[in-house]
Amino acid sequence: MNSEHWVLAALRALAEQDRGLEAPPHVETLLLREYRKRRVRSRFRKLALAGLAAAAGLMAVFLAISREQPKPVPPQRQQAQRPEIVALEEPQPEIAAPPAPKPVSKGRVASKAQPREVVTDFFPLLDVAPPFERGELLRVVVPASTMRRVGLPVNPDRLGDRVYADVLVGQEGLARAIRFVSYEQ
Amino acid sequence: MAEGPVPNNHSMTISDRELLEEALGGVEDAFTALYRRRQGGVYRFALQMTGSVAIAEDVTQETFLVLLMHGGRYDESRGTLAAFLIGIARNLVMRRLDRNSRIELEITEECAGSEDVLEDLTRRESIEQVRTAVLSLPAVFREAVVLCDLQDASYEEAASALACPVGTVRSRLSRARAMLARKLRGVALV
Repeated sequence: MNSEHWVLAALRALAEQDRGLEAPPHVETLLLREYRKRRVRSRFRKLALAGLAAAAGLMAVFLAISREQPKPVPPQRQQAQRPEIVALEEPQPEIAAPPAPKPVSKGRVASKAQPREVVTDFFPLLDVAPPFERGELLRVVVPASTMRRVGLPVNPDRLGDRVYADVLVGQEGLARAIRFVSYEQ
Repeated sequence: MAEGPVPNNHSMTISDRELLEEALGGVEDAFTALYRRRQGGVYRFALQMTGSVAIAEDVTQETFLVLLMHGGRYDESRGTLAAFLIGIARNLVMRRLDRNSRIELEITEECAGSEDVLEDLTRRESIEQVRTAVLSLPAVFREAVVLCDLQDASYEEAASALACPVGTVRSRLSRARAMLARKLRGVALV
């Protein structure tokens, strides 16, 4: 037997002796404890985010109720079944704080065409949402700065303008998504 | 890199990748199954690299904690999960070895001075001499021997775990075996 074969035989004997070696059970116990801790922390983070999103939704609703100034379109409540997070008509990702439609006098309504409603995509407000079963779409008025919060470009001079938005509230009462609405003649 | 038993609901048919995804998604059973499947290889690697049970336990635990934190970075196209885990364990072992270089020196001296009294040792004692000789190898040669000769990893798996080309693994292994042959002259394996 040459030296390399002999070394291989020696290493095989060592490998054979070690084959059944495993980490002792307390290592698994410690790891599982750590795993559970991390999972709890992760859930807490998600709940906190959901809470913030719900608070934002409620704030938006509150603002809509407390400042009832522009009323070209009365607030609507629509039943939403499985909404898709896409633009309803033409996608329009860049809306530079569209002005709220001006109130028109009753006498002119009949003579003019109805303004066309243009909406953005829905922007999710929850990081991880429970499965959607049913919900309601609430038409609210929010400051244009809300658009910036979801990443839409807004002219800095118009952050204080008020814009229409639809807030999708799920069956559990959480505000799940928001989209912004503007009107074209 | 052989697999260990998986005594819970997650059967052996589920791939490491799927188990990892489930584990990272919060499924405790998946994490347990993955741990039980792969802990043996990680533990033996750390033990055979360091010769210390305490360090091997720590390294095993830390390896799976790192997997929990950074498991999302695992890329199946770059190697098996077993190799990914050994790669993590290897980094942890190297850090320990840097810190405990005195332990390595002590082992080296013990091995060098004991060649001529081994002829009538029992098989078990002889095997322990082989272990000591492996531990006395420089780390880069030792890890090649541990992976390829003690853990039955393929050259490709070893190269993936050690983040080096296959050719490097082959040449290190060849040199390591030559060094072992010199160190083990006179050891009888009955």
